[in-house]
Amino acid sequence: MKFETAPDVAEYVKKEIYPDGLEYVPLRENRVIVKVAPGDLTKVAELFVKKFEARLIHATAVDLELKGFEVLHIYDFSKFKDRLVVIVKAIVDKDSPEFPSIANITWQATWAEREMKELLGVKPSGMPDPRHQFLPHEWPNPVESGSIPEGYKFDGSTTAKEMYLPLRMPIEEAYQTLIPIGPYHPGVIEGQIVYVKVEGEQVVAADIKTGFHHRGIMKLIERRGYNKGAFLAERVCGICSAAHGLAYITCTENLYESEVPERALYIRTLLAELNRMHSHLLWVGVVADVIGWKTGFMLTWGLRERVMDIIEAITGNRVNYGIWRMGGVSRDVPQELAEKAKRTVDALREECAKLLLLVADHPVVKSRLIGVGPLTRAQAYDGGAVGPVARASDWKIDVRIDNPPHAIYDPKVISWEVITDDHCDTFGRTLVRVKELLVSCSIVSQCLEYLAKTTGDIRIKPKTVPLGAEAVGLNEAPRGELAYYIRASDKDSSLPHTVRIRTPSYRNNAIIPLMLVGSNLADVPVVMGSTDQCLACTDRLEVIDNRDGGRKILTWDQLVNLSRRASRW
Amino acid sequence: MVDLIFTVISLIVIVPLALFLGVIYSYLLRKLSARFQWRVGPMLRMYGDLKPLLGTTRLLQPLYDILKLYGKETIVPDVSRRRLFVYSPFLSLFFAVAAIFFIPFPGMPLLSGVPYSLIIASYLLIASILFTILGPVASGSPWAAIGARREVELFLVSELGFVLSLFAVAIARQSLVIWEISSGGQSLYLALLTVTAGALMFVAMLGKLHIKPFDMPEAEAEIVAGPYTEYSGKLLGTYYLTKVFLLYGLVALFISLFLPPIATDVLWLPLYIVAAVVLVFLLTSVQVLNPRYRIRNAINWYLKVAIPLGVLNFIIALAIWLVV
Repeated sequence: MKFETAPDVAEYVKKEIYPDGLEYVPLRENRVIVKVAPGDLTKVAELFVKKFEARLIHATAVDLELKGFEVLHIYDFSKFKDRLVVIVKAIVDKDSPEFPSIANITWQATWAEREMKELLGVKPSGMPDPRHQFLPHEWPNPVESGSIPEGYKFDGSTTAKEMYLPLRMPIEEAYQTLIPIGPYHPGVIEGQIVYVKVEGEQVVAADIKTGFHHRGIMKLIERRGYNKGAFLAERVCGICSAAHGLAYITCTENLYESEVPERALYIRTLLAELNRMHSHLLWVGVVADVIGWKTGFMLTWGLRERVMDIIEAITGNRVNYGIWRMGGVSRDVPQELAEKAKRTVDALREECAKLLLLVADHPVVKSRLIGVGPLTRAQAYDGGAVGPVARASDWKIDVRIDNPPHAIYDPKVISWEVITDDHCDTFGRTLVRVKELLVSCSIVSQCLEYLAKTTGDIRIKPKTVPLGAEAVGLNEAPRGELAYYIRASDKDSSLPHTVRIRTPSYRNNAIIPLMLVGSNLADVPVVMGSTDQCLACTDRLEVIDNRDGGRKILTWDQLVNLSRRASRW
Repeated sequence: MVDLIFTVISLIVIVPLALFLGVIYSYLLRKLSARFQWRVGPMLRMYGDLKPLLGTTRLLQPLYDILKLYGKETIVPDVSRRRLFVYSPFLSLFFAVAAIFFIPFPGMPLLSGVPYSLIIASYLLIASILFTILGPVASGSPWAAIGARREVELFLVSELGFVLSLFAVAIARQSLVIWEISSGGQSLYLALLTVTAGALMFVAMLGKLHIKPFDMPEAEAEIVAGPYTEYSGKLLGTYYLTKVFLLYGLVALFISLFLPPIATDVLWLPLYIVAAVVLVFLLTSVQVLNPRYRIRNAINWYLKVAIPLGVLNFIIALAIWLVV
């Protein structure tokens, strides 16, 4: 299957959307670059967001060495033309890298601009929230990092650490009413701090601080090339690894004239949907655990094991599948395996339907989830929610329909539907996820049926990536829209110049404080869990502790044997 | 004289016996909930090849967990009120052990024959729980403070059901002595009271033992370890030991009040064990079927269930007293 670009797409953008650009460059798959002057960025943003209701996918910047910094705003226009994505570019000078901030026009750009500022040292002017996003607030000092309120008086005795004021409140007040949820809290397994200001058990203000888990994957891909990048991209997240693999491959395949055999597309869909199934099952388990329902946790994770077994039988791995290749996949699904897997999936579907009934009807579960973490459609739209969080607020947004990745999601070929819900709370998010689980079951079943009946190629050798090419790859991860932006190197055809990843949790985490305000302290972990946050995706730092010691050394096989024996019934 | 010697001996015997039975009940709670949740739980018979490493049975696993804590370092926070923080677990344990002296066991009346033993036993149980609140409050941790606050709220509402149920039985049997109640006969009307007051007592036990959906004082996902956040080593072990005694004490009290005459003669011992196991099984079923309530929901639920049920109990008890 070839992925075509509409021939008139650049003309369309010039005529219908924005006529005053300096240059229009069509990319593959209806992506269009519009180059503008830095001063016009706000004007363009205003036009796109207010008039066309386009959604900002990501804002980032690229270091072009001597030429300066290139500021990129990526907008989703799929409502107007099939798969249309407009990339607004402006080059700013290295000596004074200032350009107007668009966070006042679309709030969704807040995190992105804060990150840009830290990553490259560019200066978006007029940011509503200039504090550090990933670096510590107290580094190098609270005044420079922007975490001290204007005109706040402090005496010399306070240390830098004490001056760290999450909600920009005076120290005395912070000591009395501020409760830190994190950085490592039993309710949320990964590292982040959510500061909640409480009155009694009522949350009146909340703030979130990330930056506890940086791994530099974007930089690693830039140094290792396109082929190894597929393996690295999977390792961004251990749960939605297939989503990352697919988004990365979609992006790299958009860099050159790609062609993918149909069977490979089916295998990609199969794996992405199996991945979604186990991710959603995991999420239901985590929320059950957070509300103290250990039985629900054990039951859903037991079901998840069966999905993992299917994945292991197909790819040989449980977590990082390692089958994503440019131009196809590396491993075929034999016909007899497909038949066997289909039987298991059909049986699993029954159990998942039972799970839906169990969750939707349990009175205590309902009392813990209904009305918790409210998010109206307007709030979700302004905040930039993606994935099940947005769909639970009755906003029908799904990349698989709007801007599908390089896999089979055509509703004419595979019958499936986008699930939405109008509860606008955690209960709605639960229902959306459990129903999506059933939809995924049906997609997986249809893919396996196709694979069991046919045979064919699974990979077409990729062509060389042209120098300086650019591409955007989108995919619907279990948590929402996942975006990759890659710019090929100008000198080496095997290396990317820039890789940027915008994960769904990056967006959903940003609106957590919004959902927390007004809720009960007991509901804070539930609200935080309800976005299915994946902090490894969001964060950008890691410390590895490699101490080892101990007198007894077990080999890997011994350990595996021990664990098998210990878990035998 | 013989009676006195027998009582003294039985008082000495009941402590290890209660500990053992409490550990067995805890084991049952853990094992049954594990099997409900597709897990293995502590092993009754260890796999042959792991026997040299782990022993033949893990029946006493809850006890081993407590003993392990006694071998660990105890940390007392600087900001705590040291004396209250350190003494509270021991006082809590003391009152729990004292309470079981007033609750009969088959073949051992213990002190349950003394006047007003019902009042004494219930007060001692209250005192024991009170010290699980006071110690954490003295620890100076915000998590412990929130946990203790929830514990107080839960304690107040569950205590209401507990007391209403106790006094309904006392009115119907016209006695405040546990021994007299537990050695009294049965009749159709009293059996009816056993069902209604027993249900109320069971509900109160859920709150006292922190069985889900009423485990919000210890909700780990919300408030770390709740009241026990700052406790470690021997002090935490003492609190866990208290819980074991409380579990035994409440089960024994339930049987002696609502299922007479099972808790009187030694010949009833097999039936006593069966009744205890059934009770623990019921507690476990509630535990595994439910998520945790919010504290507000829990209070509302108690007020909606405990007060009407308690009033109903009183009407039945008064009717039995006046009519029968």
